[in-house]
Amino acid sequence: MNKSIEIMAPAGSYESLMAAINAGANSVYFGIEQLNMRARAANNFTTEDLKKIVKICKEHNVKTYLTLNTIMYDHDITLMKKICDTAKEEGVTAAICSDVAAMSYAKEIGLEVHISTQANVSNFETVKFYAQFADVIVLARELTFKQVKRITENIEKEQVKGPSGNLVEIELFIHGALCVAVSGKCYMSLATYNSSANRGACLQNCRRSYKVIDEETGDELVIDNKYIMSPKDLCTIGFIDKILDSGVKVLKIEGRGRAPDYVHTTVGCYREAVDSYKEGTYTEEKINVWTKRLETVFNRGFWHGGYYLGKQLGEWSGIYGSKTTKEKKYLGLAKNYFMKPKIAEFQLEAFEVKVGDEILITGPTTGVIQMNIESLFKDEKKVDSAVKGDEITFPVSEKVRPNDKLFLIVDVKNDKPN
Amino acid sequence: MPKIAHYREKCIGCNSCVEQAPDRWKISEADGKSILIGSKKKGEVFVTEIRMDELEANERAARDCPVRIIKILK
Repeated sequence: MNKSIEIMAPAGSYESLMAAINAGANSVYFGIEQLNMRARAANNFTTEDLKKIVKICKEHNVKTYLTLNTIMYDHDITLMKKICDTAKEEGVTAAICSDVAAMSYAKEIGLEVHISTQANVSNFETVKFYAQFADVIVLARELTFKQVKRITENIEKEQVKGPSGNLVEIELFIHGALCVAVSGKCYMSLATYNSSANRGACLQNCRRSYKVIDEETGDELVIDNKYIMSPKDLCTIGFIDKILDSGVKVLKIEGRGRAPDYVHTTVGCYREAVDSYKEGTYTEEKINVWTKRLETVFNRGFWHGGYYLGKQLGEWSGIYGSKTTKEKKYLGLAKNYFMKPKIAEFQLEAFEVKVGDEILITGPTTGVIQMNIESLFKDEKKVDSAVKGDEITFPVSEKVRPNDKLFLIVDVKNDKPN
Repeated sequence: MPKIAHYREKCIGCNSCVEQAPDRWKISEADGKSILIGSKKKGEVFVTEIRMDELEANERAARDCPVRIIKILK
């Protein structure tokens, strides 16, 4: 490898953004206003946020990518141009586009373009076409590994360059949700609820359980998994070596809708995996540890390898929502942090917390802190546990800020069918 | 007379309301979100009264809104 590998993390909130940075991401992607694939999300960023995000990332030497990848109508063009202009002005590294109108305008004003998975680039000729606009192209998540490799080899062989004059780089999704359809080509949510996935408003009805009934007789077909349209999540931690050997330069983690602990854990694991590979210490033993860790945050069960390894279909989630092995219970809010002794003070609003418990602290500037409570104090006296209503203090080595959230992490007993 | 309330900030600019009730809705070229024609802003919500003969088309607009930000108050 002659160039460093980039780990790109989702940032759907300031908490996730800081979690990504602290866990070792090289770049983050985020959306503002409504022209991105999480348009209906509750906490979408605005143009004002963009300035702040870029500033934070520049301070941490992290690249910023702005998602601008919905289908675009004529009435969106003014807004799209405004967003591109702001991105250029504020120094966003690149815009992630799928509509030619967006990539064309971004190129015109000198804003770097990356091609979105919404464009489902699946062959080398398409890579060559988009190279006139883009320096980085994410390939469709539905390709096999051989197909990916052939594309990266051809780029090298034919010296396909982007507008920067450098060889086009290939990006790959390495972790997170897969779609029942080829990305960017699903009309299920639009057809059933007039809520278009391709306008960032997917209602994910593919994730629900379904029955198959013979309309003529009324007989129900017996199926062993009613979640017949909900694929498991992609996980590539076990063959990151193959991905890196194939010439892929940018590793993208899905999940702008996910909580900060998901971002923290996924970025952390893949960072370690990439570094281990570089150092020649990428082992089965480590893979098992990372896999266990990845299972502790949101997942629909893992499809190890996804389409990349060419496995047969049938990797359906078997569950609605997450199969995580750990869950978070909200405990309360931070009130204070005493810098010198490194002690955090919290107001407990729910449940009980004990010495030895695993906890999570999240905040827009703090990001994510995951730790075990080693000692606990109430009214400056050492205690073994504390309950709802108590004001507690305990040592935390990293800085905690007022109103940061405190969660208890507990094991989930997952007895739902696979 | 019936009223319409429009929580405009959450609009994703899909154009469905304009298709259903073009006399009452248009899309802003400035920010790509829909505008409730003749409405006044009250807090975060845009509100207007409509005639009875407009009701059916606007009920369809409310039904088709993917982000459920159009409310008809009869």
